[in-house]
Amino acid sequence: MKWRRALGPLSLAAAVASASWSWSRLEALRSGEPAGAQVLYLPSGKYLKIISLGYPEVMADIIYIWSIQYYSNYDQSDRFKYLEHIYGGVISELDPRYVDPYLIGAVIMSTEANDDEMALRLLDKGIAANPDEWILPFDAGFLCYDRLKDYPRATRYFEMALESPGAPSVVKRLHAEMYNKMGDKRASLEYWKEVLEGADSDYVRNVSSMHVHDLTIEADLETLRRAVASWRSRYGGTPPDLQALARAGLTDSVPVDPEGNPYRYDRSTGEVTSQSRFKLRRRVGE
Amino acid sequence: MKTWAIATNTFREAIRDRILYLILVFAIVMIGSSRALSLLTVGSEEKIVKDIGLASISLFGVATAIFVGVGLVFKEIERRTVYTLVSKPIRRSQFILGKYLGLVLVLAVNVAVMTACFYGLLIAKGWMDFAITRAIVLIFAELMLVTAIAILFSSFSTPILSSLFTVTFYIIGHLSWGLLLLADRIQGELGRNVCRLLYRLLPNLEAMNVKGMVVHGIDVPPSQVVFACLYGAAYTVIVLALAVMIFRKRDFL
Repeated sequence: MKWRRALGPLSLAAAVASASWSWSRLEALRSGEPAGAQVLYLPSGKYLKIISLGYPEVMADIIYIWSIQYYSNYDQSDRFKYLEHIYGGVISELDPRYVDPYLIGAVIMSTEANDDEMALRLLDKGIAANPDEWILPFDAGFLCYDRLKDYPRATRYFEMALESPGAPSVVKRLHAEMYNKMGDKRASLEYWKEVLEGADSDYVRNVSSMHVHDLTIEADLETLRRAVASWRSRYGGTPPDLQALARAGLTDSVPVDPEGNPYRYDRSTGEVTSQSRFKLRRRVGE
Repeated sequence: MKTWAIATNTFREAIRDRILYLILVFAIVMIGSSRALSLLTVGSEEKIVKDIGLASISLFGVATAIFVGVGLVFKEIERRTVYTLVSKPIRRSQFILGKYLGLVLVLAVNVAVMTACFYGLLIAKGWMDFAITRAIVLIFAELMLVTAIAILFSSFSTPILSSLFTVTFYIIGHLSWGLLLLADRIQGELGRNVCRLLYRLLPNLEAMNVKGMVVHGIDVPPSQVVFACLYGAAYTVIVLALAVMIFRKRDFL
């Protein structure tokens, strides 16, 4: 009778041991495949939305949280295979207003998968679904500026960001700087002046005033050098002084630099330089 | 008074069945998920916590409405307690209405306590936004309709079949917009009209779903809440009237 009484607990212990052993065997069989990898093969979010029965946002949350764990697993060398599908085809379709996956997805695409165009496609999708979110075009603009060095494209994105409500002053600053990068010193100067006028902190006031200072000198030098070149082609030789350029109608006037010093002119070479030092360029080594 | 007596009795019965334990599960889900999210996610946890909170209120409510609702009338018939009731001067409409109100009362308590837990968490985290209340009001309107559907099926079918029918109605209610897409694809005028008619006839539970909107801070106009509540209430009355009509036809003697 005693062994009969022990039969129950023994069976239970055997069942627990079997379950534990078979579970570890199954885990060993799928070693190398990260947990939840089957999410990669999900159909488009358009179809998932139908079966979500009114809970597409929660479904998007779950897949987004999973995606962070999956894409931060560096043991998985081919993990970027379905990257665009997961962010652009599943999460953003389930919850188009969810901004974080656009931003994080774009970072993974750009810095991890080295596919900037894929990142921009995702951000474009996010911008179309969230026209009031300045961060999305800002992110796209920064990617074009920082990684692609495509300044005209970056400018377009920063302009989009500026049209969105709540865009912080950093967007204005980068927008102004893009014109400088494109070589349009005058336009950049005008935008930097706007930043200076609307400065909301000492930091912004300080930075923008240095940009205005340097760009004023650069723009003036550019104008004066162009006028000297026009003099050369019109009269041959160099002008006697900078005032001669104004008298000949090659410049509107002869400017002085932001510190009130006249620009230096070397008649023998026709070179125009500034007496005042650049405040920012020297500091950043340009 | 008779309806109210049945309603309070149904409420007590549900409490005895430990239905309110669901609230404990809800609290664990909410607190657990908010703790886990801080470890797992990148970006705003606020959106995910709000999504999970609203979805849990809705899901626990729907589960209660369906799985308690489908047994309400059937249990009375199976235990033969209905004989005692119908032999008394109680109208069958009062019986159905009493059962319905009893379960609605359970749901109201459930939703109220879950909402209080949810708001407590949001206030503690500094994420409180009272626009969420609009979504919860509409979740409750949806639960009232789902309860009525569960009672309708419970009035003539077994709990298993009633659960299946109610879950099917719940799914259809969230997919009925697909009929409009189907109508656009169908060539014949008759088929298109059938689709459009079905779209009008079947419950449109998506009309009461503004969870995504409130979480994303999109304004839900009060008129939308009022009309969705009105739609839900009117549909509930129709379904309950059907349940009463069917229950009246049943012969217990």
